[in-house]
Amino acid sequence: MTIAETETAGATSSSPEIMLSVNGIEASYGAVQVLRDLSLEVPKGEVVVVLGANGAGKTTTLRAICNMVTCSGSVTLEGHEIGKSNTADIVNRGVAHVPQGRGTFPELSVKDNLYVGAYTRGDKDGVEDDIDRWFTKYPVLGERKDQTAGSLSGGEQQMLAVSRALMSRPKVLLLDEPSLGLAPIIIEDLFQTFKSINEEEGTTMLVVEQNANLALDIANKGYVLEAGEIVLEGNAKDLQNDPAVQEAYLGG
Amino acid sequence: MDLFIQRLFDGLFNGAIYASLALALVTIYRSTGLLNFAQAELATFSAYVGLVLAGGSMGASFGGLAGTGLLDGLPGYPFSVPVAVLLATIFGMVAGALLEVVIFRGLERGSPLALVNVTIGLLIVLSGLTTQFWGGAARIFPQLFPADFDDFVWIGGARLRYTTIGSWATLLVVLVVITLLMNRTKAGLAFRAITSNRESARLMGIPVGRTLMLGWAVAGGLGALAACLTASVVSFSPFTMLGALIYALAAATLGGLDSPKGAIVGGIIVAQAQTMIPGYLGLPTELAVVAAVIVLVVVLLFKPSGLFGTVRVERV
Repeated sequence: MTIAETETAGATSSSPEIMLSVNGIEASYGAVQVLRDLSLEVPKGEVVVVLGANGAGKTTTLRAICNMVTCSGSVTLEGHEIGKSNTADIVNRGVAHVPQGRGTFPELSVKDNLYVGAYTRGDKDGVEDDIDRWFTKYPVLGERKDQTAGSLSGGEQQMLAVSRALMSRPKVLLLDEPSLGLAPIIIEDLFQTFKSINEEEGTTMLVVEQNANLALDIANKGYVLEAGEIVLEGNAKDLQNDPAVQEAYLGG
Repeated sequence: MDLFIQRLFDGLFNGAIYASLALALVTIYRSTGLLNFAQAELATFSAYVGLVLAGGSMGASFGGLAGTGLLDGLPGYPFSVPVAVLLATIFGMVAGALLEVVIFRGLERGSPLALVNVTIGLLIVLSGLTTQFWGGAARIFPQLFPADFDDFVWIGGARLRYTTIGSWATLLVVLVVITLLMNRTKAGLAFRAITSNRESARLMGIPVGRTLMLGWAVAGGLGALAACLTASVVSFSPFTMLGALIYALAAATLGGLDSPKGAIVGGIIVAQAQTMIPGYLGLPTELAVVAAVIVLVVVLLFKPSGLFGTVRVERV
């Protein structure tokens, strides 16, 4: 176990153990630099949120962690470098990624979607138990287990995508704009679900969002990303009260 | 009426061939977005490998591999026709998987058009190899099912040939095996996931290249089997399957390029059009392909994505 030397920069309840650490990554699409010397840390068991407008580089940050885009710099999981591993390896080591737009398999049944989520696991019985567990917890998925995922509503698909990601029993869950395209009331439910997953399962989460208020409500720590650079970081409550953040992301 | 049933039966054999080849094309297309024009040539090459394994000779340029004693050491050689066909099918599967590993995995980021050109290149290479090894002339292959003049049963006043029954029985068994493979195994699940959403499949930790090999193997095996069935009924040359490929492409398009069910139904319809339309309109058989194309155009006019092609159901 690595006990990282954290500068407890203003954080009130920081745990010293770092689950995921991104150190100085840079990424470009052609001539356009999307991420500049970006660093962030996700402590074990916490929810960390990255706020930013469209095009700030939020999605690219998550894709860089899973090595879905070429980037320089280092990414470590529990102190071990994973930046050079391929995506399948990174998933195997415990990083689950819910992509923007949910990324369910529309032609596959709800149940098969969950089986695919458990692809990296070898324990058949454990997989069945987990599927039963999510079906009990989210009965709407259980009721529709044989329907195709494409027939679910947006909110149901997001729950499916999250359950599917959790099927790999990840150490850290990456959520890419889970609120995108959902009705406000559903978004509120969804974030409460994230919070309870974090509390009950102890799953570490890194969420990128535009919906700053709800995200900060459930987060321990936040970063603000602008044009590929971290311009502000701090604990979630402080960010919620920060005038600059309020003006830019919380509707003044 | 008897004539109608006879024409129906006559089209059934070709239907099995077109359906197999179309299913091979569709398997690759829906998982990779690629139309593999080399499908028929790979099938042809596999059928000739089967011929050699059954004790047939190579062409003049090799002085007859069978006569050299090179294969005499193989236990069981020369193999019975069913075993030779099975081995040729396995050869087709391995060759298909190798194509994925050696050629297409490295070209994953290439444009679809460039990749289609690669398959046309492969078609030329494989065709050249087959002609070089076995000569360009048509030859008689050993019969898999009894295919002599009087090998048929009377049904409804029409003759249903054993080869037609045997070919459909074989195809149905193969379809059951493929369905079980795709729906009951972890590799099959991974393959369906890649077909549905490749990027998400990668994010679930699925090794995409290794899993796509499965599709290439299935396609290679299906093609090889179709070629072996064809070769055991008609005199077979390196170019016979190329003709079948044109009908199979029409069948796959007709069914909807991404639908396995569509490939089977499309294969049956195209083959029936090929016998029925010239039969009833009194067209010369040389124009049969025109009949198939007319059916294709008419269907696509009304259903642009084919009979069973997916118009994705997705609520957001």
